[in-house]
Amino acid sequence: MIDIKEKLGTIKYDVDKEYPHITVDDAICAKCPHHFCVMACPAQCYTLQNGKLLFNYEDCVECGTCSVACDQGSVTWHYPKAGKGVVYKQG
Amino acid sequence: MANFKENIKRINSSESISGRMPDYDAIVVGAGNAGSAAAITMASKGLNVLLVDRADPPGAKNLSGGVLWGNDLAEILPKWQTEAPLERFIDNKKIGFLTEKSSIVIDFKTEFFRDNKIAHSVLRAKFDPWMAKKAKEAGALVIPGITVESLAIEDRTVVGIKESGDTITANVVLLAEGVNPRLSIEAGLRKPLQDRELSVGVKEVIKLSAQKIEDRFNLTKESGMASEYIVGSLGNLNIGAFFYTNKESISLGIVSPMEELRRNGVTHTYDLIEKFKSHPSIAPLIEGGTTIEYGAHLIPEGGIDSVPQLYGNGYMLLGDAAGLAFSNGLVLQGMNYAIVSGIKAGEAVAEAKARNDFTAKSLAVYEQKLGSTYALKDLKTFKDIRKVTNNPKMYTVYPQLLEGILLETLWERGQPKKKTRDVIGEAASKLSVGKVKALTDLYGIYRRM
Repeated sequence: MIDIKEKLGTIKYDVDKEYPHITVDDAICAKCPHHFCVMACPAQCYTLQNGKLLFNYEDCVECGTCSVACDQGSVTWHYPKAGKGVVYKQG
Repeated sequence: MANFKENIKRINSSESISGRMPDYDAIVVGAGNAGSAAAITMASKGLNVLLVDRADPPGAKNLSGGVLWGNDLAEILPKWQTEAPLERFIDNKKIGFLTEKSSIVIDFKTEFFRDNKIAHSVLRAKFDPWMAKKAKEAGALVIPGITVESLAIEDRTVVGIKESGDTITANVVLLAEGVNPRLSIEAGLRKPLQDRELSVGVKEVIKLSAQKIEDRFNLTKESGMASEYIVGSLGNLNIGAFFYTNKESISLGIVSPMEELRRNGVTHTYDLIEKFKSHPSIAPLIEGGTTIEYGAHLIPEGGIDSVPQLYGNGYMLLGDAAGLAFSNGLVLQGMNYAIVSGIKAGEAVAEAKARNDFTAKSLAVYEQKLGSTYALKDLKTFKDIRKVTNNPKMYTVYPQLLEGILLETLWERGQPKKKTRDVIGEAASKLSVGKVKALTDLYGIYRRM
């Protein structure tokens, strides 16, 4: 069984350190009844720690799953700017 | 970026756009299969075309299964089979069910596929830049690394795109922005995406030597195998899976309907692919391989109901952005639908230019043209297919029924043998649903598939 962290390590990224292309609203996430994003996101960008939702955009593969998974209105979703983000070599 | 500024004509966004000559006949947003096919079609007809992609190189954010059926590609790029970076031509197609302990598969290997070599496995990060290069050769200006911020809209007409404070104008904007079409949604050209029209695709490319692949799958140097599975063995989740051979790697992955994932609510998408890989009939096939790239992508699976209005004043929607993909559980196609929509959109723009009319009325010819191809016809023919692909019995009850029949027939256990009629009767009596209900249900599947 390969850990997701190891899998994400196979992907090449050009991370935009200035601009998080996805943001979440902590206040909304705190009240979320399901945190489905944690299950749905294939890149483990959403995790729960002691019941609190943590989000990182650096590992995002820009699939858009979370923008649909979140039905609470917490996720603000944009594509990264100017070629930043995931760069597939195989695809 | 410097490249972008130097290369494209632009006007200050504060100036009025109406009354000016547009910078381009057409701007294509997205250099995937649909966008590049459209750009090639238009540029070959002498139109002034700008093709932008948010990835650099163009296509580097694209991902699919993926097997490409090249019938339409051959129309615009007749030499694709010798020039394109293809992996293996598919002459062996497998479809089947995976249960917890068994795989029940139809293994179809045929000279028919071998004769015209029309299906190939491809890796999009290699294939898509080639298609974008072909668009450039045809005369389109291709600018990668551009994330369009929004559409420029005046008087209910799409007149161009906005990026970094600049507006670039065109008679028509072709939105080939993929399955997650932010521009189209934000401009209200299509509805936001919903669970019912999407699956989450999770994929790995696993390195394996050509020799191992050819030995393991009984292939020649160039031939390849493509398998698609209905999987009911992964907890209580009903999903699809695929397994394709490339030259020196395997592409495998799972396709999980968003509705299923939400209903289940306790399984990580990234764990599901591990479960598929460890299935007793899959694990030996990738033994000794190393994962060289992980990835994920949404897949439009909403059928005809989620195809939006395809055109309007100054714009058209193409490929995944228009929900143009086909799935019936055993066949999963998108690239060919994207390419045919690109070609038809490109032809429609050329005709609109001849009329010098880019209103919705003039661009309606796109839908007429697309409607005469398999792309829209398939989605209409299979309008009820989700009742099949969403039917949980397809993933559990029927595969288990088949498994029961095969075990009873093919597994010698030192017991008196039974006639087929009795085997089926007994297997059916063990089902969790009544025989009549199962028969009615199967008839429903038969009618819709």
